[in-house]
Amino acid sequence: MLKLSTNKASPQARPRQPADKSPSGLSIVWREIVQDKIALVSFILVAAVTLFVYVTSLLLDQDQIVRVDLFALKQPPSSEFLLGTDQGGRDIFGQLIIGTRNSLTIAIVVTLLTGIIGVLVGLVSGYFGGTIDNLLMRVVDFFMILPFLMVVIAFITAVPNYGITAFTLIMTAFLWLGIAKLIRSKALQEREMEYVQASRTSGSSHLKIMFVQVLPNLSSIIIVTMTLNLAANIGLESGLSFLGFGFPESTPSLGTLVSYARNPQTLEMRWWIWLPASILILVLMLCINNVGQAVKRAADARQRKG
Amino acid sequence: MRKTIRSKSWLLLTLSLFLVLAACTSNNGGNDPSPSPSGSPDASASPSPSASAPPAANEDGLFNISDFSNKKTNQGEPLKGGSLNYGLVSDTPFAGTLNYVFYSGTPDSEVLGWFDEGMLTWDASYVYTNDGPATYEASEDGKTFTFTIRDNVNWHDGQPVTAEDWLFAHEVIGHPDYDGPRYDSNMTNVVGMEEYHDGKADTISGIEVLGDKQLRITYKQATPSLITGGIWTYPLAKHIFGDIPVAKMSASPEVREKPIGIGPYKVESIVPGESVVYAKNADYWRGEPALDKVVLKVVNPSNVVQELKSGGIDIVGDFPIDQFPDNADMSNVEWLGVVDRAYTYIGFKLGKWDAEAGQVVPDANAKMADVNLRKAMWMAVDNDLVGKRFYNGLRWNATTLIPPSHPEYHDASNPGVTYDPEGAKKLLEEAGYKLNGDFRTKPDGSELTINFISMTGGEIAEPLAQYYVQSWKDIGLNVNLEMLEFNTFYNRVGDTGEDDPSVDVYQAAWSVGIDVDPAGLYGRDALYNFSRFASEENDRLIAEGISEKAFDKAYRLEVYKEWQELMVKEIPVFPTLYRSALAPVNNRVLNYAIGDGTGMYVYQIAVSQDQPFVAE
Repeated sequence: MLKLSTNKASPQARPRQPADKSPSGLSIVWREIVQDKIALVSFILVAAVTLFVYVTSLLLDQDQIVRVDLFALKQPPSSEFLLGTDQGGRDIFGQLIIGTRNSLTIAIVVTLLTGIIGVLVGLVSGYFGGTIDNLLMRVVDFFMILPFLMVVIAFITAVPNYGITAFTLIMTAFLWLGIAKLIRSKALQEREMEYVQASRTSGSSHLKIMFVQVLPNLSSIIIVTMTLNLAANIGLESGLSFLGFGFPESTPSLGTLVSYARNPQTLEMRWWIWLPASILILVLMLCINNVGQAVKRAADARQRKG
Repeated sequence: MRKTIRSKSWLLLTLSLFLVLAACTSNNGGNDPSPSPSGSPDASASPSPSASAPPAANEDGLFNISDFSNKKTNQGEPLKGGSLNYGLVSDTPFAGTLNYVFYSGTPDSEVLGWFDEGMLTWDASYVYTNDGPATYEASEDGKTFTFTIRDNVNWHDGQPVTAEDWLFAHEVIGHPDYDGPRYDSNMTNVVGMEEYHDGKADTISGIEVLGDKQLRITYKQATPSLITGGIWTYPLAKHIFGDIPVAKMSASPEVREKPIGIGPYKVESIVPGESVVYAKNADYWRGEPALDKVVLKVVNPSNVVQELKSGGIDIVGDFPIDQFPDNADMSNVEWLGVVDRAYTYIGFKLGKWDAEAGQVVPDANAKMADVNLRKAMWMAVDNDLVGKRFYNGLRWNATTLIPPSHPEYHDASNPGVTYDPEGAKKLLEEAGYKLNGDFRTKPDGSELTINFISMTGGEIAEPLAQYYVQSWKDIGLNVNLEMLEFNTFYNRVGDTGEDDPSVDVYQAAWSVGIDVDPAGLYGRDALYNFSRFASEENDRLIAEGISEKAFDKAYRLEVYKEWQELMVKEIPVFPTLYRSALAPVNNRVLNYAIGDGTGMYVYQIAVSQDQPFVAE
């Protein structure tokens, strides 16, 4: 019975196959980005920065960079310290590289984790509906009414050995909610579609329908949300660090560097400590956002440029 | 005021690394008639011609606290009336327990200093004098004191301050329902206080009211520290608090919203935690105050420079020292500075607190129990360099546990332990801490990981702690650093007696009292003995220091010299930096001084023009 149903289900997907009729999702996205010059430049910039920081940080010794040097406090940029040093005599350029890597890693990991959890919960909830939907959505509602920032701040002060892993996990714990709600609403629409009904009637398993048949139809919305979330997540880490709930100074991040500007003397007289990091945050967020907008248009045939 | 600081300040935890007892300023206390006993120069000896010439840094960019004056140079004539803005530097609101009997935080004491004061003042050697609101006479044996309150000393509401009020303060503090921090060894030294506290007596037998304005108190033990702060000198207005149950007093509006005192200014209005407006108390016993109005507001450390430049505040109680070098040439203020009665230190956890017995319990098996390990950690850090680099010389290498703010008792001939990383490695090697890879192991071969906690606050806090960690790494010790916010920090160090066993080493700071007796910080029965160190020799020296024999000053000096040596030998904690206190004062302010014994009082503070000077 099961075998038979799988056989019957495959022709159902066939109309989507012919390559000459409609281009694949990725190629549409790519074409959209290439068409939009701003998005293209943004994409190249993000890729270049990412590549640069990940490669360079392999060559840098983090312990050496965060080492306090009493003889080089608050040095302005020079040939020895490309971007000067901070109030602990630590090289800003090195911190910027490692900080960007840390911040990017956090943003990417958080985005991926929240994406996976959100999609899973949303899909299950939307596809099955009824009691399961009700249950899952009440869990989501519960997390949603918690004051997010408060909980994160309390968590950060309470956790010993607070670091990148802990931060990533607590962020993930709250940030999957939006995606779950979004995917659920789409899945609710999708499950009423005839192909789902047909597949079900012909005996396909729920798992197969959800992940092989419904999920691909939601892929565009997932990609769009996650790209835009990536930009927001970079800002989130920086924001918390700025408020004083970031990482210890031995773990450089973009937010930590910017937060040095809370000291008015640093803000006024030592621009090299905070300005590069601030510009980098701005550039990264803007660029990722630009790419995200292009992807969003690609997902909607009516808005496409190319 | 000073008294509270004394009994309290041994207990007072300095807020973060740079916030120290601003309440020490004599102007706030208004009762320091004597010349400064600290290392700061006497400004009156050489009136500087150009008023606000900033103390100059030498060619290495270093400042020296002895170049600072502790008295404001007057410019111009005092204006009749006028108002003044005072900045309370703090990154949190003040608690608002505005009564000497109940308050506990330093910020509150800064608020209190403007509108209330103690009955006694003291002189250069911190001994009570007869220049305050009350005079005293001691009996032959030094145990009985008779106090006479001046006739013109009145509460803000016009009621006279009576001996009954003074007795009432003792009764409230000794009451079983009392929830403030003042019931301490000074209190129990009053004859009959413990019986009263335990409910065995209805009255305190050692306190007699001799008349409206006369009070006699008998103490159990005559000690040299009795007349340097061992007496409770703050009366409590019985006509106001008499009807309030003791348990409810500290939360009452009479403490929180419309507090009362006897000082030169009275509280007009309060925005809780943020600001206080004071109006002149024309009836003040010393004379009519010069200003019509004083506004106190809380200023965040990160805004304080802007506020000063724009004239938004005229005076700050305690300026964050790490911001000074960048602002030394601010044109509209004059910088005052004194050696602070405080030191920063690194402590080692050597035991636990036994709450029931009220004693420390040293643990011979504690991770840090080996004195060689502790000594090596002291040898590994270069505090001289730290002071010069991080603080431009405004904090400097500390050697013993009695800071130079007590010049007589501070043993300058004791070099402490000097910086010698190679010696530290050798010491560890000989003590059996062998290198295994990057780090050393314990003598028994097991792994040694030391947990170090430090306070956040100010931009120097974390690099400084990091510096210590890496210095220790350099001699092969594996040290983990955790930065904690002020309250969490002291919680884990053990200010409630429940020490966090995972803490091995911590960096903190103490403000010390006017009396040098270290019992409150290093005694066997002191909760604030955070290192939980105790030894018989230590007990003996502390007891000797306040014994009757110690009335002989030479003997007392000898005892504390020995105690400082003992502490350098045993190293339950080691001092890292001595500190200076800086206060910028707007050029329009007259008759202002900081530090001890300036001969200036709060009521004399005046301004020379209506508007503050603004920085160019």
